[in-house]
Amino acid sequence: MDVEDTGLMITELPPPPLPRLRPRYGSGAVLHQPHLNLPPSSQPLASQVPLSSSPSPPPLHTTHVSYLYPEILALIFSYLEVRDKGRAAQVCTAWRDASYHKSVWRGVEAKLHLRRSNTALFSSLVKRGIRRVQVLSLYRGLRDVVLGVPNLESLNLSGCYNVTDIALASAFLTDVSHLTKLDLSLCKQVTDNSLGRIAQYLKNLEVLELGGCCNITNTGLLLIAWGLKNLKRLNLRSCRHISNQGISHLAGLNRETADGNLALEYLGLQDCQRLTDEALKHVSAGLCRLKSINLSFCINITDSGLKYLAKMPCLRDLNLRSCDNVSDIGMAYLAEGGSAISSLDVSFCDKIGDQALVHVSQGLFNLKSLSMSACQISDEGVCKLATTLVDLETLNIGQCARVTDRGLVTIAESLVHLRCIDLYGCTNISPAGLEKIMKLPQLSTLNLGLWHIR
Amino acid sequence: MPNIKLQSSDGEIYNVDVEIAKCSVTIKTMLEDLGMDEDEEEVVPLPNVNSAILKKVIQWATYHKDDPPPPEDDENKEKRTDDISSWDADFLKVDQGTLFELILAANYLDIKGLLDVTCKTVANMIKGKTPEEIRKTFNIKNDFSAAEEEQVRKENEWCEEK
Repeated sequence: MDVEDTGLMITELPPPPLPRLRPRYGSGAVLHQPHLNLPPSSQPLASQVPLSSSPSPPPLHTTHVSYLYPEILALIFSYLEVRDKGRAAQVCTAWRDASYHKSVWRGVEAKLHLRRSNTALFSSLVKRGIRRVQVLSLYRGLRDVVLGVPNLESLNLSGCYNVTDIALASAFLTDVSHLTKLDLSLCKQVTDNSLGRIAQYLKNLEVLELGGCCNITNTGLLLIAWGLKNLKRLNLRSCRHISNQGISHLAGLNRETADGNLALEYLGLQDCQRLTDEALKHVSAGLCRLKSINLSFCINITDSGLKYLAKMPCLRDLNLRSCDNVSDIGMAYLAEGGSAISSLDVSFCDKIGDQALVHVSQGLFNLKSLSMSACQISDEGVCKLATTLVDLETLNIGQCARVTDRGLVTIAESLVHLRCIDLYGCTNISPAGLEKIMKLPQLSTLNLGLWHIR
Repeated sequence: MPNIKLQSSDGEIYNVDVEIAKCSVTIKTMLEDLGMDEDEEEVVPLPNVNSAILKKVIQWATYHKDDPPPPEDDENKEKRTDDISSWDADFLKVDQGTLFELILAANYLDIKGLLDVTCKTVANMIKGKTPEEIRKTFNIKNDFSAAEEEQVRKENEWCEEK
């Protein structure tokens, strides 16, 4: 590249003569290996300037923003939050074109109020490579989204109370094969009818959120079990009609009608109060890949049910918060059954006490995170735990009033890998005990209530 | 430490520690490809960088010579602009023209760390402004037709949602 070519960038005087120094690499073109995709370096730089954005010629002595290539503008815009990206697009045509680069919008979810038809909007989303849409409110046009963004990967309708089966039926008329994530949380009007359509047309769904869809029944689960073979995550929080039979469908135990969702890795059954231990038997028999299950507020789950979960080879995360009928014995079943869980939450289980900690210490050797807030535990159990499960990284024992400085001292001496501890509402600990805890080398979070101390 | 000579577009020669010069992938690749000997008196011409900018680039590279290599871009990671070090922030207290020339130089020389921090600095100048305020900041002419402007507004209305 000749010096003249770069003339626009030069703010200094012309170069002095160059005695005896011969440039070794000729034109310098071989040096040009830019970080971004630029036009070939043989072109004069000036021709790369997006002329359309040049204002009346930029002042001679300073380099104007219009000298930045579209790829560099796109890199700059990629650092902006969504609001500012959208505003940058409205500055001038060159900025609009640069800002519609797919790299600028990577991972962005468009949050839309669907009111009137706006087809230009959808094609501009497609152009930007946006494949995730959250619907903030819905008056019409769910179908427009599905048709307008044919590569749609993620559709979030959570909290759109007025979504009906009819609206979903109009949107899902044929295969929507790219859609892998559908969130219908709190779409309370949705019934099994919609699940039939979803099972028929959204075959590649991997994530289905149905928390709070309280009209769903076992029939809906049968449809899911029939159609959604790739499902990895299913949340059925507060779907209160579902019972053990529905879970057996998911687990593929009724093969003549449905294969089941055997790829499931997460199952959220929080507050599904009709479920009993038999549901866990089904889960254990069929959902071999399950890594995580949430059973909090399932008050009919008892200790015996945990025997089934203990045998699940992939299960790592078990949430039993507020399962009133789980006790120390259940922890013994988990430990004796060889459970490999790494995270256990039994907070607010009234029947869990020091004996549970003895069982946990003697069997759950992979445990990294343990939550026992408001359980009936004391220093004795805590000391047993701390001196055996020394790899623990998270320990939540808030509102355990029988834990004192003695327990904290043992924790501080033994749990050297601890990162997070919750001691909120532990009324019998003192600043002296806390001081010991704060000396833990890895500690990043100490929760004492409404504030966090680093 | 061996040095090499870098020559700016306007003919200034800078003696630079090879290791520092190699933070530019462009220079590093060239030295490797062409087997540059360390003892030679020859110079590397950088026809796209003037002396004022080259001086700044060398200053930046010298300060950052012991930095760990910048992490690869993670698609899933939220991009931040509030992590500019105070040294860099001071270093980049320059007029817009210089800032843009530094960006072009960082791009040409392929110095990812410098390109990132200069682009973040421009991003911070855009943040929180309306389109009209952005135009004023950078002296940009609004070249949209009325219809285009209406359309681009409609296409980006949703970006204002929290």
